[in-house]
Amino acid sequence: MKKNIQSIGKLCLFYTYFLILTPFFTTLMAATLSYQQQTIKGIITDLNGKPVAGVHIMTQKTKKGAISELDGSYEILANPDDTLVFSALGFKTLTVLISQRQEINIQLYEDATQLDEITLNAGYYSVKEKERTGNIATIKAKLIEKQPVSNPLAAMQGHLSGVNIVQSTGVPGGGFNIEIRGKNFINGVSDPLFIIDGVPYSSQSLGSNDVSGQIFSGNISPLNAINPNDIKSIEVLKDADATAIYGSRGANGVVLITTKKGKEGKTQFKANISSTLGQVSNFLELMNTEQYLEVRREGITNDGFGPFLDNPAFDFFWPDVKSWDNTRYTDWQKELIGGTAYRNNAQVSISGVSEGTQFIVNGAYQKETTVFPGEANYKKATVHSNINHQSKNNQFKIDLTTIYSNEKNLLPRSDFTSKAYTLEPNAPRLFDDEGNLNWENNTWNNPLASLEEVYEVKINTLITNAGMSYMVLPNLKFKTSVGFNIYDLASYRTLPSSARNPRFGFTSQNYSSVTTNNSKRHSWIIEPQLSWNKEWNKAKLNILFGATFQRENSQQLVQKGSGFPNDNLILNLSSAETLEILEDADGEYSYQAFFGRFNFNWNDKYIFNLTGRRDGSSRFGPGKQFGNFGAIGFAWLFSEENIFKGNSILSFGKLRGSFGVTGSDNIGDYRYLSTYNVSGLDYDGVSILEPTGIFNPLFGWEENQKLEAALEFGFFNDRVLLNASWYKNRSSNQLIGIPLAATTGFSELTGNFDATVENKGFELDLRTVNLQSKNFKWTTTFNITIPKNELVKFDDLENSTFANRFIIGKPLTIVKLFNSLGVDPETGLYQFEDYNNDGVISRVEDRQWVEDFAPKYYGGFGNTFSYKNVTLDFFFQFKKQKAFNNLRWRATPGFRGNSPVSLLDRWLEEGDTNSVQLASGGLSPSVGPSDLNQSDSNAAVSDASFIRLRNISLNYQLPTINNDLDINVYLQGQNLLTFTKYDGPDPEQPSSIRLPQLKQITLGLQVKF
Amino acid sequence: MNYKQNNICIKKLSSNFFRHRIRIINTLFIFLTIFSFTSCSDFVEVDPPKNLLISETVFNDPSTVESVLASIYYKIREHGIVSGRSGLTTLLGIYSDELDYYGFDINSAELYNHNIVASNSLLQGWWSNAYNVIYTANDIIAGIENSNSLTIDDKERFKGQALFVRAYIHSLLSNVYGDIPYITTTNYLENNSVARLPASIVMDNIISDLISAVTLLENTPVSGERVLPSQSVAKALLARMYLYTENWELAETVSSELIDMHTLELDINSVFLKESSETLWQLKPGDSPRNTHEANELIIHAIPEQRFALNNNLLDAFELGDLRLNNWIGSTTSTDGTITLHFANKYKATFIETESLEYSIIFRLSEQYLIRAEARAKLSNISGAQQDLNAVRNRAGLPNTTANTSNDLLDAILQERRIELFAEHGHRWLDLKRTGKARAVLSLLKPNWQETHLLFPIPESELEINPNLLPQNSGY
Repeated sequence: MKKNIQSIGKLCLFYTYFLILTPFFTTLMAATLSYQQQTIKGIITDLNGKPVAGVHIMTQKTKKGAISELDGSYEILANPDDTLVFSALGFKTLTVLISQRQEINIQLYEDATQLDEITLNAGYYSVKEKERTGNIATIKAKLIEKQPVSNPLAAMQGHLSGVNIVQSTGVPGGGFNIEIRGKNFINGVSDPLFIIDGVPYSSQSLGSNDVSGQIFSGNISPLNAINPNDIKSIEVLKDADATAIYGSRGANGVVLITTKKGKEGKTQFKANISSTLGQVSNFLELMNTEQYLEVRREGITNDGFGPFLDNPAFDFFWPDVKSWDNTRYTDWQKELIGGTAYRNNAQVSISGVSEGTQFIVNGAYQKETTVFPGEANYKKATVHSNINHQSKNNQFKIDLTTIYSNEKNLLPRSDFTSKAYTLEPNAPRLFDDEGNLNWENNTWNNPLASLEEVYEVKINTLITNAGMSYMVLPNLKFKTSVGFNIYDLASYRTLPSSARNPRFGFTSQNYSSVTTNNSKRHSWIIEPQLSWNKEWNKAKLNILFGATFQRENSQQLVQKGSGFPNDNLILNLSSAETLEILEDADGEYSYQAFFGRFNFNWNDKYIFNLTGRRDGSSRFGPGKQFGNFGAIGFAWLFSEENIFKGNSILSFGKLRGSFGVTGSDNIGDYRYLSTYNVSGLDYDGVSILEPTGIFNPLFGWEENQKLEAALEFGFFNDRVLLNASWYKNRSSNQLIGIPLAATTGFSELTGNFDATVENKGFELDLRTVNLQSKNFKWTTTFNITIPKNELVKFDDLENSTFANRFIIGKPLTIVKLFNSLGVDPETGLYQFEDYNNDGVISRVEDRQWVEDFAPKYYGGFGNTFSYKNVTLDFFFQFKKQKAFNNLRWRATPGFRGNSPVSLLDRWLEEGDTNSVQLASGGLSPSVGPSDLNQSDSNAAVSDASFIRLRNISLNYQLPTINNDLDINVYLQGQNLLTFTKYDGPDPEQPSSIRLPQLKQITLGLQVKF
Repeated sequence: MNYKQNNICIKKLSSNFFRHRIRIINTLFIFLTIFSFTSCSDFVEVDPPKNLLISETVFNDPSTVESVLASIYYKIREHGIVSGRSGLTTLLGIYSDELDYYGFDINSAELYNHNIVASNSLLQGWWSNAYNVIYTANDIIAGIENSNSLTIDDKERFKGQALFVRAYIHSLLSNVYGDIPYITTTNYLENNSVARLPASIVMDNIISDLISAVTLLENTPVSGERVLPSQSVAKALLARMYLYTENWELAETVSSELIDMHTLELDINSVFLKESSETLWQLKPGDSPRNTHEANELIIHAIPEQRFALNNNLLDAFELGDLRLNNWIGSTTSTDGTITLHFANKYKATFIETESLEYSIIFRLSEQYLIRAEARAKLSNISGAQQDLNAVRNRAGLPNTTANTSNDLLDAILQERRIELFAEHGHRWLDLKRTGKARAVLSLLKPNWQETHLLFPIPESELEINPNLLPQNSGY
């Protein structure tokens, strides 16, 4: 350790020198010779001869800029031997030598897709879309801004091939699941590596189940801290060529989020306000009171308890049937999740430039309420700023980005959704005449009591990054990036006695409690890099060499205070009579790597890319810490070959491929050590120490081999762009929490397993400009992914603990189920196939029906129409998949609690062939198992494919009053329409306990000047 | 090669700093790069976090070993088969003829209705909590074996407790699951594919562990509040095991040793207070609640919030004038006066009580009197058996027993056990089971009764993970 600190010290010292000394060198070297400058004038037009305004003109050597006026005219001061670069959105960039001229008139060519212009961020380097050898999918600010969402992952949904994102709850501030090119590992998270402006950002929630379990299942997405409107682009690195430079962390893909930078041009002020209304996208059709009571009575009678129904002594046992008003009806979905959620959003941004320095500051505030009753709301304030500076000769550059966000989410402690589906339709009113919670003689648990039980989380996130680069020699650049990230979460959940039925005798002293979770994650990263570029006549060589030092510390303190003088003091832990520490944990993660890239480009025709990384991670035991990863990629731009030159149809053609190895160390810290855990609990005053688990000192990296081949075409002057990729990834050396028999004392052991999982698939991306005229433009995008997941190898699967979960040759996403044979007309009970013919239906032997829940294909389809000042976008997301339906949570009518009307189609008497078994009050021993088995059978699975109008956006740019003012009005909709045959709440996130996604409509105004 | 060149570079350049500044910078960067690449191979080694202790260090210090033992007692108090929350007391109570279940938990209802499925989560919880505790006990046994810094006395004290815990938990498991694995190692490879042993062999293992524990705990002083297992506790379980295995002589010998050493609590109202003189081992509650889980589970505050009420058959079984009827049983009537329910009220302090008055008693002396009575009856020591039985009866304000034959006495003892030990750790069910009376009693009360219900199913998920545990107990 000591040596370690010393070495970091040295490193820091060195950087200090570097920072202090660099400006001197810069000034010295900035002394460039200046020629006699002169003014150059001209007019810029398009091919139709119409003047083009807003064209950006720049001198290549002196880096002076100007912008063309409305009449297309421009003026710029330049040296006679300099070169002018004309660039404008929608036009091909033109480079013109001045060669002593004073007037230069320019005609610009329209560029449908700007293939040449698009530069992709590949993390440690950037690459032109045209020249990339790897698979990098991207979504730009323009598209993100059209979507009224508050999490960057939501903006990506459906737009990127190979990227499957599912929102886990409709509650604001909740999480997302993201999978890039399928599930690689049998265990462990499928989250990719997130990098925000060069700083790795853990997407792992620091939520504690003790606090937020019932509202978010503990999952709070740290990515909520990023305001989607601050994002310039999101790049998703998918294949080996793109991800191998991230080595051990690249196996699940890499998501690079780049925020907006200060840009050239005049000082600009931009303001944006919007208002959103949201409602649950789909409600279930549930029984009404009459139907419900009918099946309840029928069920109780079927169970043989009919006579007891008339005995008042047993009324307490079925209050819904006997004590409660049998004519009362409440639509609990409307009552509990039927509200309207409002979101108000305001943003202000200022950007500008002054002599080599650009800046942008963007502040945003958002408040979002929920569809639940009560005052729940989610507030978020974000500040994003970037300042970048380059020395006059462009030799030194510095770029500072800071993102700060403050989130405050106040919610009821549990999600009302499952209550909304299962509360009896004749359940009592919520409030009595005095406006107090109604407990109806203690016959029910008032759902609104949980409004008294508050969950609140405050999150502060800071991400800063400083990037500095310095041209050491004309071709040699030294660059370093220093990043720092703080994620600070403070949350609590209260259980006041006032939320409980007064008859229990709970008081603040003996019942009230508060559980708090204070968690922090700090990380820093330093990445020094050297890159060397050299161009010869036909060859270009690009070499990059760098190192990473990263350290992450996390802390979590979960405390529970109980017994308060009164409920008003419940937030004050010091007033608690007893204070328990449920968790006081910290973790340290150190990571070190060296990486390099070798890129060779011959004549812009053949490109060869070699990347590699050597990684060390503290998550592994001594001797197992280091691993090597690398990839090789190539591209052949065959359209540059002579036979295609001047071809009127094919404007661009590229064949590319890559192969490489990446890894994963996503298994948690300290898992290789045999340890005892200090939990803060005690027995008889002795604090307890418990064994953490079965340990395994020998585990190492998971490996992931990626192979990809792709064809890219551009037709009709790149108006039609088609990318088709095929990939095959194999993951082996699987780190598995191998389930252990309880007789070992624990439920799992982490170890490397000789199992191989293959993900292969086909991705297609199509972008077309269908129509383009002076006033009208119509573009279309389409993407589709056809993934296939397969467990290729698993030695001795039959004898392993996974014998009942997986099948070799089938996907990891399968479930084994009973084969439901419908209702027996004789007994009225569900019947199942007895696979082993032993006369007994057993869960171990007879669940042999296999269903796969992975999507068969998914993608998106979008269109943009613009006519003069009006732009209309609509985007559909589609997915073909299966999922558990409503039978998963209720397969028998008559149990206490409401259920879907589909259960009314029940067996009534011998000979009936209805689809649902006889009603039961849950008191008969034979109905229980067949109900349970039906929920675990193929009958509980149905098609959950959907086409969803994910986004629709209408934008109107007001005719300008003067040149500097730009006003836009927009109307946006999210999830407005869903086409599906699925009978559950939401085909995208099939669940009966989580709030489905909301459909939202946003009205907004943007002013720019 | 690089290294040499750079060295030469530095020498050359250092004198000509200004003229060759670019090269100097260049060199610095190369330096930096080399530095980055050679340093910090130990960068990726981190200190353990503050909430974890490395295993070896745990067994170097008696106080940390005590902490590991404390984790066992904490766990058995809070979760699993011993706990007043979800253990034998309530669940075997509703499974037999002691308690009626009114709650809405499906898993408990399965036990009450005798329609248990093998995936019952309560039974799964019993199984996994039990083996987790057994793992800890085995880790202590192995850890102190290898420790050089513990004294012999400490080692004996710790090992004695660990062996007792191992035997005790196995005994409870074997009572309800029948044939089970007997785990004596922490080796997960072995334990992961372990097979079940016949219940009789399990019993032999339990007895042999207990005999060692009794020896090892010889010199261990008894803790003031009797909240840790002592030698007497090991003997108490040993006597019970001899009774269960029908080893009457030894059952008598061991229970006699305890009866000679300890005294019955004569005040019927003090038996379950923490100071009760007859308590051999009790689990001290934590901060919330400060009293027993048993009281909070069993006491009915209001109707219809009841979960467990005493079955009428049990109430009817009390003799007239039994002090226990008034003092160990409570009742609550619904507001409209139509329903009155009785509940076990041995423990009286609920969560409302802010002072700690009662601990959860695991072993107490009156069981030993009844063990000895039964052993003596079997050995035809009629007067001895009567004497022991009367000790328990007289304390409850009842006259001497009238039974005077071996068989009558055995019936009277079974009846006395039913009353004395009701709602305590499932004694009633285990007595019905071992005396072969379960069918006669329960088939009347539980319509779903089957002969196979004498044993619970092995948790289904365990059979899936470890097929060596097959076959499942019959009937499931």
